[in-house]
Amino acid sequence: MDILKCEGVRKVYGSGDNEVIALDGIELTVGKGEFVAVVGASGSGKSTLLHILGSVDKPTEGRVTIDGTDLSKLNQTQAAIFRRRKVGLVYQFYNLIPTLTVRKNILMPLALDKKKPSQEYFEEVVQTLGISDRLEALPNQLSGGQQQRAAIARALIYRPALLLADEPTGNLDQKNSREIMDMLKLSNLKLKQTVIVITHDEKAALEADRILTIEDGRIISDEWRR
Amino acid sequence: MWKDYSAGYIKHNRSAGATIIIAAFISALLLSLLCGEFYNLWKYEVERIELEEGGWQSRIVGELDEADIEAVRNFAHIKEAVVNEAETKGQETVLDLCFDHMGMVFEDTPRIAELVGIPPEDVTYNYPLMAMYLVRDSSDRAPRLLFPMFLFILVLASVSLIVIIHNSFAVSMNGRLHQFGIFASIGATPKQIRTCLLQEAAALCAVPVLAGNAFGILGSMVLIHLTNVLLGSDIPGRHRAVFGYHPIVLGVTLLATVLTVWISAWLPAWKLSRCTPLEAIKNTGELQLKRKKNYRMLTLLFGVEGELAGNALKAQRKALRTASLSLVLSFLAFTIMQSFFATSDISIRETYFERYQDVWDIMVTVPGAEVDSLQETEEIQSLPGVERAITYQKARAKRLISQGEMTEDMKSFGGFSHAAGSEVVQTEKGWVVNAPVVILDDTSFLAYCDELGIVPGLDGAVILNQIRDVTNPDFRHPDYMPYVKETGTSVLLQRGNEEMAAEIPVLAYTDKEPALREEYATLDYYELVHFLPASLWSKIKGQIGGAEEETLICVLGKGQVTGEELSSLQGEIEGRLSGAYTVESENRIQERELNERQINGMKTVFGGLCLLLALIGIGNVFSNTLGFMRQRRREFARYLSVGVTPEGLRKMFCIEALVLAGRPVLITLPLAVLAVWGMLKMSYLGVREFLAEAPLVSVGIFMLGILGSVALAYYLGWRNVKRMDLAEVLRDDTMM
Ligand SMILES: Nc1ncnc2c1ncn2[C@@H]1O[C@H](COP(=O)(O)OP(=O)(O)OP(=O)(O)O)[C@@H](O)[C@H]1O
Ligand SMILES: [Mg+2]
Repeated sequence: MDILKCEGVRKVYGSGDNEVIALDGIELTVGKGEFVAVVGASGSGKSTLLHILGSVDKPTEGRVTIDGTDLSKLNQTQAAIFRRRKVGLVYQFYNLIPTLTVRKNILMPLALDKKKPSQEYFEEVVQTLGISDRLEALPNQLSGGQQQRAAIARALIYRPALLLADEPTGNLDQKNSREIMDMLKLSNLKLKQTVIVITHDEKAALEADRILTIEDGRIISDEWRR
Repeated sequence: MWKDYSAGYIKHNRSAGATIIIAAFISALLLSLLCGEFYNLWKYEVERIELEEGGWQSRIVGELDEADIEAVRNFAHIKEAVVNEAETKGQETVLDLCFDHMGMVFEDTPRIAELVGIPPEDVTYNYPLMAMYLVRDSSDRAPRLLFPMFLFILVLASVSLIVIIHNSFAVSMNGRLHQFGIFASIGATPKQIRTCLLQEAAALCAVPVLAGNAFGILGSMVLIHLTNVLLGSDIPGRHRAVFGYHPIVLGVTLLATVLTVWISAWLPAWKLSRCTPLEAIKNTGELQLKRKKNYRMLTLLFGVEGELAGNALKAQRKALRTASLSLVLSFLAFTIMQSFFATSDISIRETYFERYQDVWDIMVTVPGAEVDSLQETEEIQSLPGVERAITYQKARAKRLISQGEMTEDMKSFGGFSHAAGSEVVQTEKGWVVNAPVVILDDTSFLAYCDELGIVPGLDGAVILNQIRDVTNPDFRHPDYMPYVKETGTSVLLQRGNEEMAAEIPVLAYTDKEPALREEYATLDYYELVHFLPASLWSKIKGQIGGAEEETLICVLGKGQVTGEELSSLQGEIEGRLSGAYTVESENRIQERELNERQINGMKTVFGGLCLLLALIGIGNVFSNTLGFMRQRRREFARYLSVGVTPEGLRKMFCIEALVLAGRPVLITLPLAVLAVWGMLKMSYLGVREFLAEAPLVSVGIFMLGILGSVALAYYLGWRNVKRMDLAEVLRDDTMM
């Protein structure tokens, strides 16, 4: 069953002389439970694609359907609620709220829905990510790797249909990178989470079920490994 | 959750929170102070007018019986129609009217007059009172700028205060767009964000706004008290200002502050809803350039630092726009206020004190006396300190001017075609105009004849035969020309009953009036003034009547009199008259001192307001400059990290400060010149007359104040930047 479908997605920045075509006719379907890696040269349009899938950015043309919802049909409020419940986004820079503790940062998507977290699931997530002893700290009191784990925990807390990660290991050393990738893999296996991850790290990409290569805004190869 | 977030934010950004609290408090304080003060000034002015002129809106005078009065009372929208016993003389009834709405006064009063058969010239309006409610009529020629001036300044001040609150919000909000972007990306709806911002604003501002308002009211109370002390409430002719406060004022102030706070909080939410969450996340609170731009001038002048400064200014364009605006506004208001005082100063002096320098020292009003029977005239004239004492009484009459009597000059500007119905009434035989009669005691009349160089006589009148070119609106420099052709006699008609007439010989036609503190043909340009000796008046007053109930004595002292000499002379004259009459008298030197004291008091009060305005503008510069200094720490850190020297950074600061302070001055100057020019045009003052008294020094000081405060703000910013820890700023990438 397809959880994600892109049809003719195009993204153009600027106009006239400054025009940059970041994405040019992306056609893509991803099934439930897949682990997809996206690779490509710098500036090829990977982040742009991911932001559009996460509905934090809008395509210039084309249609994106996630879990049966056509993103272009959503108004702002609906899009916000959709993001809250259906997708978890992890950025290269962690984007935590600097004035809230790690615990509050992680629980934010639930709090926005006025929902109580399931204590069990919360424990499981923070345990798995190894930040259970840093929950009361403020983000800037954590290392980069710890901040990234907190960001991933936040993305997972609502059990989203789709986890999107943009170079989650870009700022980390080898050991931390490896651990983060393992965790994504684990959540993919254990929680049946669909994961799309952008990476520059070829070794990391090899962990994936499927590798997409993007060049100049186009998917030039779509390789199944399993 | 939002509570946690807001509390956390406020806790971690004390300075931002404090800026908002202080801005809200100060703005609420100043706004409420200003509104309270202006309300009280307005109230005082209305009370003064009501005390001096009465609270009526329009007035009709004529023979009215009970039925007429009842008819008036039943007229639609009439709130009150009262017979004014004090003003009523003889058979003519004075009926004071008040309407439900002021807007109807000028429309309905003529209709009412018509209803009860009163000619339009017997309708008067309380123009000064109406002007205080911004109700004007085109036939009212006086400028009456006070209230519009009040409003203008109040609006200016409010706008700049609102800009301050808004600014302090905007600065802290801009930095948080990034954080709200994160919220949006993990699924906060626009409404949730808006609610959070509004709650936060309410939590931060509720207390300061209320406290500010309360202190503002208190402050205006103190100010009113001070004004009373400063202007002296014991001075005759000035009534005491009693502090008052209207719920509407409180409502308006509260509404203005709350609305501003609300808009300021709502605006970032609105901004956020207009961009995608990604754009918001990318906004790091740093000011960024939308498009590449070259600053050739600055680069050429100052090198690479100039270019950096130019780019920084360009990137801050929005934030600076409000700073510039508030500086321009306060500078403009200040300049206009100063110029307004200068012009009105000149105006009062020219039209009053200098003009009457050699005309009067003491004016005595003797109610109930008649000029032809006042025994004491000669006694006063022969007092040792008296150079000249003219006893006179005024009367109102009418006169017919036929087509043939008009001079060619008079015809050349259209004859009576510009006259209003209350001034001139056209009949078959010609035009009936007002003919004020000024009756001089015989001795003075003979002296006046001597002055004119005609054969003295007590059996005729002297006619002030001049009319101004009514097509020239410059009341300060009128063109006079002969009014009527000279004939041997003149026929005065009784006012209200033109059947009654008295024919009198004319001794002379002249353009030289006797030395009295009187003005002729200022409101009604078509008056034909007759000067009569008392003995002639005795003979004809039975036929035309219309004399006023009081006699005046205009006394000029001998040589250069001092204030003391004048006071003792005043006492002496009053002593002579006090047996038979209850008199009132004024004394020029006292009057002048009083006037000066009042003007100085006014200047102090208004000057204080100017200072307030200036402080508002400068406060804005500070909140702005210090605000964006905080925002720009990263920018400066980056410059330093790539090797811009602290010297270079300082140079950049200087350039920015110069441009920032220079621009409002450059924008304001032409505007101020334009405004002053308009004011001069309106009051018909010459440029040279004005320049001699122009408030150049105070405006210059204000300008330097602006430059100085911008420089100081940048200096303080510079000190912060100098102290900043480079490593920490660059490391802090929670802000990325
Ligand atoms: N806001 C923007 N305005 C203009 N052009 C942009 C903007 N954001 C991205 N681009 C352009 O779009 C193209 C794709 O950018 P994108 O960030 O998706 O690349 P990427 O594949 O993620 O690169 P990297 O691996 O370096 O992160 C680039 O050429 C970039 O210059
Ligand atoms: Mg990228």
